Amino acid sequence: MSTEALDAAPSFPLAGLVKPLVQPLVAVAIAVLVGGLLVLALGENPIEVYSILVHGSLVGWPNFLVTLQMMSPLLFTGLAVAISFRAGLWNIGAEGQMIMGALAAGIVGYAVDLPTALHIPLALIAAFAGGLAWALLPALLRVWLNLNELVVCLMLNPIALLLSGYVSTHLLKAPGPTNKLPDIADTAALPTFSLYSQVNAGFVIGLVLCLVFAVVNGGTKKGFEWKIMGLNPRFAYYGGIRVPLQAVLVMMLSGGIAGLGGAEQVLGEYRAFYDNFSPGYGFDGIAVAMLANFHPVGVVLAAFLFGALNGGSAVLQMMTGLSKYLVQVLQFIIVLILAAQFSWAFLGSRRKAPPAHAAPAAPKEE
Amino acid sequence: MSETPLDVVSISGVVKRFGDFTAIHDASLTVRRGEVHAIVGENGAGKSTLMNILYGLLPRDAGTIELFGRPVTFSGPAEAIAAGVGMVHQHFKLAPSFTVADNIILGSEPLAGYGRIDRARAERDTAAISRRFGLDLDPRAVVGALPVGLRQRVEILKTLYREAQILILDEPTAVLTPQETRELFATMRTLAESGHSIVFITHKLREVLAVSNRISVMRQGRIVATLDNEGVTAQEIAGLMVGRSVLLRVKKAKAEARDEVLLKVDGLEARGERGEAAVDGLSFAVRSGEIVGLAGVQGNGQDELVECIAGLRRPVAGSVEICGTKAVADPRRNRAAGLAYVPADRGGVGLSLASGIWENLTVGHIEEFGRGPFLAIKAARARAAELIRRFDVRGATLDKPAGSLSGGNQQKVQIARELTRDARLVIAEQPSQGVDIGAIESIHRTLVEMRDAGRAVFVVSADLDEIFSLSDRILVIYRGRIVADLVASETDPETVGRYMGGLEEAPPAAAASVSEAADHVH
Repeated sequence: MSTEALDAAPSFPLAGLVKPLVQPLVAVAIAVLVGGLLVLALGENPIEVYSILVHGSLVGWPNFLVTLQMMSPLLFTGLAVAISFRAGLWNIGAEGQMIMGALAAGIVGYAVDLPTALHIPLALIAAFAGGLAWALLPALLRVWLNLNELVVCLMLNPIALLLSGYVSTHLLKAPGPTNKLPDIADTAALPTFSLYSQVNAGFVIGLVLCLVFAVVNGGTKKGFEWKIMGLNPRFAYYGGIRVPLQAVLVMMLSGGIAGLGGAEQVLGEYRAFYDNFSPGYGFDGIAVAMLANFHPVGVVLAAFLFGALNGGSAVLQMMTGLSKYLVQVLQFIIVLILAAQFSWAFLGSRRKAPPAHAAPAAPKEE
Repeated sequence: MSETPLDVVSISGVVKRFGDFTAIHDASLTVRRGEVHAIVGENGAGKSTLMNILYGLLPRDAGTIELFGRPVTFSGPAEAIAAGVGMVHQHFKLAPSFTVADNIILGSEPLAGYGRIDRARAERDTAAISRRFGLDLDPRAVVGALPVGLRQRVEILKTLYREAQILILDEPTAVLTPQETRELFATMRTLAESGHSIVFITHKLREVLAVSNRISVMRQGRIVATLDNEGVTAQEIAGLMVGRSVLLRVKKAKAEARDEVLLKVDGLEARGERGEAAVDGLSFAVRSGEIVGLAGVQGNGQDELVECIAGLRRPVAGSVEICGTKAVADPRRNRAAGLAYVPADRGGVGLSLASGIWENLTVGHIEEFGRGPFLAIKAARARAAELIRRFDVRGATLDKPAGSLSGGNQQKVQIARELTRDARLVIAEQPSQGVDIGAIESIHRTLVEMRDAGRAVFVVSADLDEIFSLSDRILVIYRGRIVADLVASETDPETVGRYMGGLEEAPPAAAASVSEAADHVH
C-alpha cells in the first residue's frame, strides 16, 4: 500500500475547497433553469428577468446595500440551524427563537435607561437569552424524555408568534394604531451605515459569528465532538463524549444565535418590536443552512444568495409584470432540489453499499 | 430432458463489479446432484456475492449460469425459487408472531376458494414435509418462541415446501450451539441423500471437513480450487484461503495471572430490551495478566452484561468495578477508570462509519490532543496515520469514511483506537466477527500481547474456536447466569458446548462467587 496517501496534508489543496461547492451550485443551476421555464410560461423573457434580478440586487451601491440588509437576519438563522443540524439536532425552531430574541431586545431597548456602551450589550444579551430559553425547552425534553426536538421546536414557533403578539398588541403596546412595542431608546440602537438601506452593525455581528463558528467547527474539541455526535451519537457517547450535555449546549447556542437575529431586526432595522415582523426568516434559515451544507462560511454565501434574491425581487416587481413571489418560487425549488439530493444520497448509500462481505478489499499483494 | 444431469448447477466465467471494485473475477463452479458442496473463503472473498447471483438477488456482469443443463438468468429470487433454488440467509427472514405453518406457506399459500387461506392444509403439508425430511417441528408452534436451531429448520422447510432442489445455506452455523450444528449436519446429509444439492457457505474449516463432499475455496473473487473432501487438512484449506500458511491457534505462553482484580462483577442484574431479566445475578472477576473468555450462544445476556460494564446500560442490581473504581452508567467515567472496549456492533457503537478514519481514531483520545479549547488536528492526524501503519489497516487513508473499509479493517481501526489508550482492562466483544483469517491472527496476537503486558483481557465470543484459541479461563453464560467456570487447558469444546446449550448445570462451586472463581486459576 502507498504510504503517501496517509500523509497529513491532502495532495491537491484546492480540491477541498471546490468539492463542497459542487452540490449547492448544481441545485442553484437547476433552480435557475426551472425558474426560467416558468418565466417563459408566464410570457416573459427569462434572460431579461434574470438580468433585472442581478442588476436589482448587486449592481450599484444602494442595491448592494439592500442585499446586505436582506441577508442579515439569514446570517443568524442560517448559522443557528447549521450548527444544530451539524450536531444531529433538528432545530427547526429558529423562527420562534428569533421572535423571542426580538421581543426581549425590544423590551430592554425601550424600558431600560442606560448609556449606549451598556445598553446595546444588555439588549443583545437579552436577545440571546430569549432565543436560548426558547431552545432550552426542546433540548431538555430531548435529553430527559427523549422527545423529538424537531416536533417540539416546530410547535414552539406559533407559540412564540402568538405570545409576542399578545405582548405587543395588549400588554406593552405602544400608543397609536400600530401593533408594536414603544420605540427603543437611541442608546440601544445598532448604528446603520448608509441612507440607502437599513443594513446595520447587526450585519457585522452576524458575519463575525459565522467566522467564529467556522473556527469552532474546524479547530476546537467542541466542534469535533459536535460533528461526531451528528454522524453517530451512540458512537460519540461510547467514546466518552458527553452527548446529552453537548446537545443542550448546542441547542442553547443555536437558539441564542437565532435570538440575536431578532435583535438585528429590532435594534437595527425597525427600532421597535413590531408584531409579526418576520416574513419567515427562521424557515429561510433552514434553506440557507442546507444550501451551505451546514458550514458557517457556506452560510454567509447562501445567505448572500437568498438576500440578493429577496433584494432583487422588489425591483423585479416594479420593472415587470411578475410578482415578487417568483423569487420565493426559485428559493423553494432550490430547497426541493437540495432535499432530493439529500434523500438521493441517503438512498444511494443504502442501495449502492455492497454487502459487507463485498466491501472493497485491500490493494492486492500478490 | 429425460434424465437429470449430474451437474445441477454450472456456473462459468461469472464476473460481478460494484462500481470500480470487482467482487467476482471469472468464477466457475459446478454443483452435483446429491452433494454437499462447501464454499469457503475469507470475508470479502465473494462467497455470498456469488451465491446471491445464483439466487437472483444480484445481476451478473458477465458469464453464464446453467441450471439442470439450461442457461438461466434470474431477475429476482422469485424466479430462482420457481426454478428450484432455495436460500437460507444468515439472518432469518421469518415472521416471529406467525406459526411455523404460516411462515412456511407465506408467499405461496394454499387457497380454499374466495381467496381464503386453507390453514388445515397448510398444517397438514407442513407436518408432512417435516416428517419426510426428519425435521421434527410442530406446525402450530409460534416461531418467535422457538430456539434458533428450530427457526433455522423452519427456513429450510420453507425452501423445501417450494420444492427447492438446490439449497444455499449462508453461514448456517454462526448462531448454533455445537449440538444444534450436529443436528443441522445430519439434516444436510439426509437432504443430500434424497437427491437435493446443498451449497454450504462458511468460514469454519472444521465444519467443512465434517460435512461436505466437495470444497471450493474462494479468494479475492476467484474460485482458487475445488477439492474432494478426502485427505484434505484444515491447514491446507486455510492456506488456500489466504494464499499463505497461517497459524490457526495463536501461540502464547502460559498465563501469569496476578492477584490484582481489574474487573469485578458482583451480583449483577440487568434487563434486556423487552424487560426480561437478561443478566440474572452474575458474578465473576478478571485479573491482571489473564484472558478470560465468555462463551455462550448469542442472546443469553452477553450484550447486556458488556453494556453494563461499559456504562451503556444501567443495571438493576449488583455492581461492577473497573480497576478498583465502581463503574457507573456513563462510558466517559468508566473509560477514565481504565476501560478499553472493542464493541461487536462496529457500525452502531464502535465507529462512525460516515466519519473519516482519522476522526474515528481520535474519538476517545480527544483530551490527548486538546490545547485548551482547541484540538491539535495536525497532531491527531499524524498519530492516526501512524496507527494505520502500525495496525496495518489496509485500504485506509485519513479522510476516507470508516464505512468504506472491509469488516476486518474496520475492526483494526477499533482495536488500534482502544488498545492505544492507557487502559488496563480490555473488553473485546466478538473480536473476529466478520474478520479475515489473516487479520484474526494479528488481532488475537495483539490481545495476547495485551495480556502479557499485564492487562486484563475479557473476550466475549460466540465462536468456540476463538474462545479456545485465546482464553486462559472460560466462563459460560446461559440465560443470564454463569453456568461454568473452566480452565481452558483442562476442558474441551464439547463440554463447553453442553454448558452453552443449558444441557448441564454447573457444579455449584464453579459459578458461585468471585473469590471461588478466582481460585480456579491457581
